[in-house]
Amino acid sequence: MAIRAEAPGADRTETVSVGSAQARPRRLSRALRQEVRLAYVLLTPTLLVILFLVAYPFWSAVYLSLQNKMVGAPGRFIGLANYLELFRDEVFLRTAWNSVVYTVVAVALKFVLGLTMALILDQERRYNNFFRTLLFVPWAVPIVIVSLNWRWIFDDLSGFLNNFLITFHLSSNIISWLSDPALAMGCVIAVVVWAGTPLYSMTFLAGLQAIPKELYEAAEIDGASVIQQFFYVTVPRLRTIFLTTVMLSTIWTATNLQFVLILTRGGPASRTEIFPHLAYMTALGARRLGMGAAVSLVFFPVLVVLIVILTRRMLRPTDE
Amino acid sequence: MRSITGTRRLLKWVGNALLVMMLVWTLVPFYWMVVTSLKKDKEIYGFEATLVPRQPTLANYTRLFATTPFVKYVRNSTIIALGTTVFSLVFGCLGAYALARLRFPGRGLIARGLVVTYLVPPSLLFIPLFAVMSTLALIDTHQGLILAYLSFSVPFATWLLMGYFRSVPVELEEAALVDGCTRFGSLVRVILPMSLPALAVVAFFAFTQSWNEFLYANVFVNSVEVRTITTGLTLFVVEDVFFWGPMMGASFLSTLPPLILYLIFQRWVVKGLTLGGVKG
Repeated sequence: MAIRAEAPGADRTETVSVGSAQARPRRLSRALRQEVRLAYVLLTPTLLVILFLVAYPFWSAVYLSLQNKMVGAPGRFIGLANYLELFRDEVFLRTAWNSVVYTVVAVALKFVLGLTMALILDQERRYNNFFRTLLFVPWAVPIVIVSLNWRWIFDDLSGFLNNFLITFHLSSNIISWLSDPALAMGCVIAVVVWAGTPLYSMTFLAGLQAIPKELYEAAEIDGASVIQQFFYVTVPRLRTIFLTTVMLSTIWTATNLQFVLILTRGGPASRTEIFPHLAYMTALGARRLGMGAAVSLVFFPVLVVLIVILTRRMLRPTDE
Repeated sequence: MRSITGTRRLLKWVGNALLVMMLVWTLVPFYWMVVTSLKKDKEIYGFEATLVPRQPTLANYTRLFATTPFVKYVRNSTIIALGTTVFSLVFGCLGAYALARLRFPGRGLIARGLVVTYLVPPSLLFIPLFAVMSTLALIDTHQGLILAYLSFSVPFATWLLMGYFRSVPVELEEAALVDGCTRFGSLVRVILPMSLPALAVVAFFAFTQSWNEFLYANVFVNSVEVRTITTGLTLFVVEDVFFWGPMMGASFLSTLPPLILYLIFQRWVVKGLTLGGVKG
């Protein structure tokens, strides 16, 4: 359902036209030339966007990362010096570990919660559409606002969480959620999960609803338990959607710096520092553009793998 | 058989219980935002978690409109989001038509390029794009930010529309071409009217993604005259002091446009999402 729906069977026109092209070569070749010209005219704006706003900046990032460029000053080519400096830096190594924990835990939690939510919403119930709408609300809230709102909830002195715990005598002292080294990462991840779960539930729910009910009926007649039905009917049917969603979400989760920027700024003592935020601080805080580019590129190889697999999936005419 | 119905009933109750928990987890933070904006400072900075404001007030909202550039931020966000939407629709339609209907060398390569482009994250591009924007003197301009947003909205628009255009029956278009319609004419008169749902999805995503965007807006804009709402909000923090009342009010108001659009387009949103149309 996911990718399949919109990537229809490739070019039905092709066979017809190629056949007639052989019959009347001269006239058609002119028509074909015109078609090629028209195609490139129509694609010009899109190609300009791809080339000048993505391809060129990307290569210039690679080139920048090999320079000691500062904001407002010309850079000098220094080879891999930026990268070598990074791998000797303790903050960088901590950041690498944090980024892995942050991404893996957040994606795993979003997956589990999202699937649970989807399964619940797939049950028969009155007002289900209404509940679904409510549960998907976080998806529509801008991430900056999500983060600011949670920063307020986590506030030491008057935040909802501390006030709530103290009012109900669940805790006797104030907890510094975002500045306690042991708690900060967990809190940031909680916010990421709050904002990101609806994406998973939406796609999973769409997948669940596309499974023919007869499959479950047949499994039930064969004596499959509810759990068996889940693992032998539901999971195989959703495998493609699982993979695509997880890979897409991994890219966006790993590269989103807004949560950290607003909640903790990487603190306390780099406990919540992750790559995109470190790149941001290096490039714009410390004004070291070259080094910032190096930081943002260091984790790119991992992304490349995901991007290549996803590209193939998203262009595939039919899945399975 | 009996054990299955038993399990079903159990599952139903477990489901209901989990549903309640998830509703609480999802809605309490949002509710807290709204309720904070309706409280007086004394209550906001108190030590009690009051779920209903003792003396509800709109003071934070009047403060927002009277003493902050909130209205200006909203205006800028609207200009930039609408600009991005229009350009992505136009560019997307033209490019998608070529990719869906015309045969030319490099078609497969361009289609692949679109997806790759869409997947390259902004956190990788903002540093070099900053240099590009500076060179072109586009820092602190609406045009600059619209241009930056086209980098993610055009590839998505083109790719989504390409899939949709392909599903429009070729015969309809051939009939139009035989009747003397030009290629462009058949795009406008045959394909577009049949693709309205896809156009709506594209417009929805282009608008909300630009409205919600933060990183580029933060890096490419400094002046109040161009600043958008997402980056403007963070300026309500003055020297580490948060003015939570007005800030939550502003947060609530600026969540409304994407939220309302989501409520209207709900049914189509899922389709766009399953295609990877969101960065979440």
